[in-house]
Amino acid sequence: MKLWFTAAKIAWREARASRLKFLFVLFGVAAGVGALTGVRGFSAAFHEALQREARTLMAADLSIRQFQPASEEQQAVLERYEAQGSVVTEVTETVSMMSADADLPPVLVSVKAIDPAHYPFYGTVRLDPPGTLAGVLTDSSIAVSDDLLVRLNLANGAAVKLGNEEFKVAAVVKTEPDRMTGSLNVGPRVMITREGLDRAGLMTFGSRAAQRYLIKTPPALDLDQAKAELRKVFGEARVATANETHPAITRALDRSTTFLSLVCLIALIVGALGVATAIHAHLQQRLDTIAIMKCIGARSSQIIRIYTLETAMLGLAGGLAGILVGAGVQWVFPLLLSRYFQFEHGMGWNGAFALEGLGVGMLVTLLFTLPPLLSIRQVRPALIFRREMAEARPSWRELVRRQTPAVLCGLLILAGLGAVAAWLAESMRMGLTFIGGLAASLLILAVIAWFLLRFLRIFVTKRAFSLPITWRQGLANLYRPGNHAAAVLVSLGIGVMFTLTIYLIQKSLLSEVAGAAPPNAPNVFIVNVTERERAGLDAILASQPDLPADEKARPRLTPLVAARLTAINGAAPERESLKGFNRRLLGTRQVTWVEKKPDDIAVRQGAWWDEGAQQALVSIDENTAELLGVKVGETVRWEATGRQFDTRVAAIHRVQSVSPGGVPEFIFNRKALEGAPVQFLGTARIAPANVPRLQREVFARYPTITVVNVADVLAIVQDVVDQVSLVVRFISAFAILAGAIILASTVAGTRFRRMREAAVLKTIGARRRRLVGIFSVEFLVLGLVAGVMGSLLATGFTRLLLVRLLDAEFRFDILPNLLTILLTAILAVATGWLASLRVLEQKPLEVLREE
Amino acid sequence: MSSPILALAGVTKSIDTGTHRVDILRGIDLEIRPGEFVAIMGASGSGKSTLLGLLAGLDSPTMGTIQLDGEDIARLAEDRLADIRGRKIGFVFQSYQLIPTLTAEENVLLPAELAGENGRDTLDRARALLDRVGLSERRDHYPVQLSGGEQQRVALARAFMRRPPLLLADEPTGNLDSTNGRQVLELLLNLNRDEHTTLVLVTHDRELAGYASRIITLKDGLIVSDERPGTPA
Repeated sequence: MKLWFTAAKIAWREARASRLKFLFVLFGVAAGVGALTGVRGFSAAFHEALQREARTLMAADLSIRQFQPASEEQQAVLERYEAQGSVVTEVTETVSMMSADADLPPVLVSVKAIDPAHYPFYGTVRLDPPGTLAGVLTDSSIAVSDDLLVRLNLANGAAVKLGNEEFKVAAVVKTEPDRMTGSLNVGPRVMITREGLDRAGLMTFGSRAAQRYLIKTPPALDLDQAKAELRKVFGEARVATANETHPAITRALDRSTTFLSLVCLIALIVGALGVATAIHAHLQQRLDTIAIMKCIGARSSQIIRIYTLETAMLGLAGGLAGILVGAGVQWVFPLLLSRYFQFEHGMGWNGAFALEGLGVGMLVTLLFTLPPLLSIRQVRPALIFRREMAEARPSWRELVRRQTPAVLCGLLILAGLGAVAAWLAESMRMGLTFIGGLAASLLILAVIAWFLLRFLRIFVTKRAFSLPITWRQGLANLYRPGNHAAAVLVSLGIGVMFTLTIYLIQKSLLSEVAGAAPPNAPNVFIVNVTERERAGLDAILASQPDLPADEKARPRLTPLVAARLTAINGAAPERESLKGFNRRLLGTRQVTWVEKKPDDIAVRQGAWWDEGAQQALVSIDENTAELLGVKVGETVRWEATGRQFDTRVAAIHRVQSVSPGGVPEFIFNRKALEGAPVQFLGTARIAPANVPRLQREVFARYPTITVVNVADVLAIVQDVVDQVSLVVRFISAFAILAGAIILASTVAGTRFRRMREAAVLKTIGARRRRLVGIFSVEFLVLGLVAGVMGSLLATGFTRLLLVRLLDAEFRFDILPNLLTILLTAILAVATGWLASLRVLEQKPLEVLREE
Repeated sequence: MSSPILALAGVTKSIDTGTHRVDILRGIDLEIRPGEFVAIMGASGSGKSTLLGLLAGLDSPTMGTIQLDGEDIARLAEDRLADIRGRKIGFVFQSYQLIPTLTAEENVLLPAELAGENGRDTLDRARALLDRVGLSERRDHYPVQLSGGEQQRVALARAFMRRPPLLLADEPTGNLDSTNGRQVLELLLNLNRDEHTTLVLVTHDRELAGYASRIITLKDGLIVSDERPGTPA
């Protein structure tokens, strides 16, 4: 205890006296911890905001959807949930006919009965005139969508007849959050209270209605666990959590979460790098002090104790400063992004993250201090006597023996970082991948640095006199004893690698996310189009103003054929193996044919067919294929209007875009569906303001065709995707900036050792310009080599992460790599200059006298 | 006669630089008795600093034995050597070697603190020593704030802090002008007398060596003369 006390006293005195130098180290730790806690806190808040958006699309946290009212047993379970703090509301959706006056034919409408006191839990139903559902809906009033007003030639306040009763149209429904997750949305929307539904008498025995139970859960409830439990009770139902409302959003959430934890990890490693370089440079300058202490009777263990405490103090102080930085980051990020999206609960400062950051900061600091700390043992006190004298060359065995602690330390550091990484990412695999990549990169960089320095030495010696003196000196500086070129190369290279990795991953992620919600996705669907109406409708669509210029986003009529799957490889599919909602796969479905592969379809297995193929072929969505147990090359039998036909499974696909009509589970080639009766589904991207006119125009010519407007739903999805992109961009820009700063401090850390060198050169007549030249050559070579190696390693590492962890495609792009090399060289030379400014200004005697 | 505080027998020191072998010391036999003031002289490169390093246990000889107070320190482990240095040897270096991040007083205190002594007595002794070297007013100054002579006086105070029986000095006035050099030398001699220390001093300054009771001259790693100026031959 007393020993530690004495050590602490000496450590404190030491730290106090060299405050300025310590700021460097502090800065490294603070940057690392700040990046870690800031990014972590911010991404947690962001993730929460995203989930809120996802909940908006469902209007709840959990949804149960089935085609019959809840049984008594099911009711009991829902009541239990209510008793535990959840709120449950029931939504009934059905179709019916509505009429206004005798001149116009009645219209098929989709009726949605809700309890305005609860629905919607999340998001809002926008009405015109502005108001709330609770304020508008009564037993005898309803809200309807604008296309219904067009069809029945009505205005707000008119009376309509639904079922047996008359209702007043009290408002127009402009947007409805959960439109995409509802069902039976074939006709114009009619919103009604549950009492109104009863009054209309629509729910007689045998009427087809979908029941949705929307649940708002208390925050502590584990949604996935609840889902699993509800699934057991609601056997026939589709139970979904808000996180899986939509495949595009689910993937965006997954990817962004993984990406953000990757960035946290990288922030950690880059911060650790800053700490390691700073501590290393610090102890390097303490060699004399250590030797003196040994002379006057200090044991190695005592000195190690002193410097361990000093490092711990640094880690603590840096960590605390880092927490402040992190809090600042959490505070500033939302301000910067507030124009784009809202954080409802604000960004609470998270004490747990701060403590974690502090702990991680100290752990990493101590881990990285281990090797220089242990090398204290190697410091010979005789150093202060015979500094310039050549050391006896140790035997090979002695060299290995001396390296053993360093190797053990290296392993310990890797293991420590791996544990932190796995913990941060909550994934063992991620931790391992990360550490594997780091270890391999370190090794490669060290080997290359060794060879490079060897080569330079031979090169400079061989052509000593054909090189200009500036180059000769600058290059020679790199391999001179006491220059830590190898160490700087390795840490600079690692820093460049991680920083570029963030950029590359961000880029590939953004292109995927953008592909998931193309800005030109259709926002109008036209159903019930027959072969007879096709040409006329085509003409109407083509005449719409402001159509997207993009050929792929032009209005399109997709052929639909009603078909039913009857056999897989000759055997009837096992109905029993398909639970609840998935049984719909065996019912009659609308399927389509496509000759050329659409861009938003990715083939996961097998191959797409050639145009005009004469064999009947089908491609199946990957989830569906898994449910049905079908593989590429197998045969599936179908029935369409009484005709049986076989198709070979040519491909398994994944749909990458948003399509409010649902994911096409089966896609056929033309040959397969030849001869079957066809209906067409029209899709178009129309400026939202023009949609009502299109609805009127189509209705005037083809009263049986329905135009469905999903512009508002699409806007929500686009919003989520935009937010993901924005935050991903923002956080990676921050991480890249932090990386650059830490890299700069790595270079600047070499400043102290060049003081004496500069002084000697000046004494023997070198001008300042020559010194600048020599330093520039040195830094340029360092920057270029680190840039080249870092960018090559980043490409490899990105590939590994994308393919193994993010399940995404990797595309090589030369431009960011070239740019990185250039920027690293500029950064190295610029910070080298800046750091050397004082060295250059100093009078040589000031430096030499200190010897 | 009392038993020697230092006894060297057949001490050699060679360094293998990889390309060739350099013999710095080539067989030194030497005994130093308590209370002696020995000056070691020799040209640059004669091996005198290396010899001093060996006496202090800062380095180990290639061959031979070095006994300090009857204990062979030639093959001791580093930590054991550190203890012996802390207890038995005081150092004065040509370039002072104060710890730049500690104040004058903290530098003087350091040897005692490293040995686990940090009571009131320790502080009093450090202050008394600083007073003795005329620096009690400057005890809170850092080395950079002190002149060369002042730094060397702090180093003297530090060397005597733990009352070591043996004091080793390597060109203690080598970096100082003659006025400061004389002042430091006088302090060194006075302290040496008052504290009953054995003093071994390396120098190539004849005048400085003139104060010694015994002058040993090295040349090419061998002792070429061992005189006692005050004693008749």
